[in-house]
Amino acid sequence: MTRHVKPGEIVEVLTGEVMARDFQRWAAAVGDLNPLYFDAEFARANGHRDVVMPPMFLPCVTSQPTFLDALRPDGTRKGRVAMGPLPEDLDLPPRRMGGGDRRWFYRCVHPGDVITSRREITGIEEKAGKSGPLVVVTWETIDRTGDGDLVGRCVSSMIAR
Amino acid sequence: MTDQVYYEDVSVGDQITPARLGVSRAQMFLFGAATNNAHRIHYDYKWATEREGYPDILVHGPLQAALMARALTDWGGPRSRLARIDLQNRAFAVPDEELVFTGVVTGKRIEDGEAVVDVAFREERDNGELLMPGSATVALPRRGVTA
Repeated sequence: MTRHVKPGEIVEVLTGEVMARDFQRWAAAVGDLNPLYFDAEFARANGHRDVVMPPMFLPCVTSQPTFLDALRPDGTRKGRVAMGPLPEDLDLPPRRMGGGDRRWFYRCVHPGDVITSRREITGIEEKAGKSGPLVVVTWETIDRTGDGDLVGRCVSSMIAR
Repeated sequence: MTDQVYYEDVSVGDQITPARLGVSRAQMFLFGAATNNAHRIHYDYKWATEREGYPDILVHGPLQAALMARALTDWGGPRSRLARIDLQNRAFAVPDEELVFTGVVTGKRIEDGEAVVDVAFREERDNGELLMPGSATVALPRRGVTA
């Protein structure tokens, strides 16, 4: 049985600095060769102070090292999934996949920007799926710069079954 | 990447430039490394097929989302900006199959001083099966206005 989660009960706040090499590796893996991401001169000619971070990289800025003893048998991390915190004591079914995302990007981000992301579980709901019962977990993320400027917002969900 | 698209040149009903591509296992490895993702369904064939019952390892959902975002800003040109994306993961994709990313413009407006267009998009398998529907808002430059 899953349990009700109160607002503000399960919150994670992480900070990370935007690094060109990190997001360029990501963009290269996606095959997204937008010159704004790689060519500082091109970016400056288009009104930016430096190369631009691909917006879909935003959730990775605050990515933390993965310690081997923190892995579950399926390789996901204890206490956390890609979308945010997920305490083990919620006792969810073991198979997990992303449900969907709604993301808003309010401004461009550049190397050296420091991003603080606040992620909170906003819902845990049991549903009847096509192949049996499933649980949908929903998170909301708010991303801000060191100055408090709003950079992004995300509402994402995961299905456990 | 296509040439720059300007807000004035876009009409409701326009198609974004479609992208047809397959995701290789090497690309999945690089994406998993770039996103620090150790979930075995994305690289461990035995685990994915025998333990979880999938036909193969599964392409990361965030990679499919990133490929859709790439198609949107490839269409919009280097001065376009992704302002919003809303997507649902309906079915999984496996490596090497052809994935088709398409979109159609559903609206255009000035929002907080920014010229934006709304796009309804789909990621489908080659056989037309819907994998990831959604919508996005892309900010575009206006003619005669410098960055």
